[in-house]
Amino acid sequence: MAGMTARHALYLYLAVLPAPTFVHDPALLALGLLVALALAGAERWRILKRSLLAILAFNLSVSLGVVLVGLWRGHVDTDWLLLANLRVLLMVFLGFWFVARVNLLAALQGWPTATLVATLALGQARAFARLIRDFRLAFASRSIVKPRLLDRRRHAGAQAVALLDKAQVQSTEVALAMRSRGAFDA
Amino acid sequence: MHIPDGFLSPQTYLPAAAIAVGAWAWAARGLRSALDETLIPRLAMLTALAYGLGLVMLPLPGGTSGHTLGVAIIALLFGLRLAFLAYSGVLLLQALLFGAGGITALPVNALAMGLAGSATAIAMFRLLKPLHESVAVAIAAWASVIVPGALVAGVLGIQPLIAHKPDGTPLFFPFGLEITLPAVLLPHALIGIGEAALTLLVWRYARMRKWRA
Repeated sequence: MAGMTARHALYLYLAVLPAPTFVHDPALLALGLLVALALAGAERWRILKRSLLAILAFNLSVSLGVVLVGLWRGHVDTDWLLLANLRVLLMVFLGFWFVARVNLLAALQGWPTATLVATLALGQARAFARLIRDFRLAFASRSIVKPRLLDRRRHAGAQAVALLDKAQVQSTEVALAMRSRGAFDA
Repeated sequence: MHIPDGFLSPQTYLPAAAIAVGAWAWAARGLRSALDETLIPRLAMLTALAYGLGLVMLPLPGGTSGHTLGVAIIALLFGLRLAFLAYSGVLLLQALLFGAGGITALPVNALAMGLAGSATAIAMFRLLKPLHESVAVAIAAWASVIVPGALVAGVLGIQPLIAHKPDGTPLFFPFGLEITLPAVLLPHALIGIGEAALTLLVWRYARMRKWRA
């Protein structure tokens, strides 16, 4: 993806992503994954680890189900296990590789509504995470003994209202900043 | 209840993408004029809330996940079109940043959770509001989890029928409706209670702050 504009990288990603769903041979999917790993550069292992962690819970639950049903019927479909897990891993790897290389907001430029929603949602999500961490640390520092359930409930209520208020204030500022930069102009 | 990438056949996600593109175009019509400095922050705030809620998920044996949606409150406060668009944005970000859900599965996830979830919430609220507003909000929120859950379970459950090898071995999601429906719906009947409580809480906050509703 090096040397490519964010928009072109997005088009390439969207064009390549469905390919694994048309391939039903585990060996070809494994080859696709190896090619993607080879092309992903120095970040390949970090992206692979992230992809494995992202799919772990879901694929494990489905795969265990297939194994259990297979054991009950006397035949475990290892082909399906390989096929499904390789396909999902490859598709998730492609997504994380795309996000690691490309600025999502830059890729969405030219679609003002998508940019607007993505900017606000990303900004809000980060603000939420920061505020929750601050509240947790503040609560811990004020609690000499283990807090009672009632204290926790009060804390959670105060935190929820502060989160919503803070989020609104921040997104008002972001919306005004975006308007001043012409984001809402036709 | 996000469906991940790789579990849906092209016979499913390609038609769903065509429908979703049409629905997104319909939802985006006239959107720019509807957005202003008052509405955007509120929408962004609840969109971020939905984004966070959707990431706290439990994998379900039926091959999907259990989590609250947060789509009902967006639909009740901002209407069907905005809720569908905003929730689609949430799903897109969750898929790209966390691998929760997927890009090929995005149209199905967006139509089920964003469109059907919002439409269900609005319909139930309008139907029950004359009886009792808070009860209407709670039931609307509960139903906004159950209906998308049934749709997601349905789409997953038909995969073995529509995409399989000549010997009948599934090529994509392996379990049929007899497994997906109870596996998705039973946990979501409970999750829906949490969704109802949360929606009611935010609804009261919105009323306290005198948001339009």
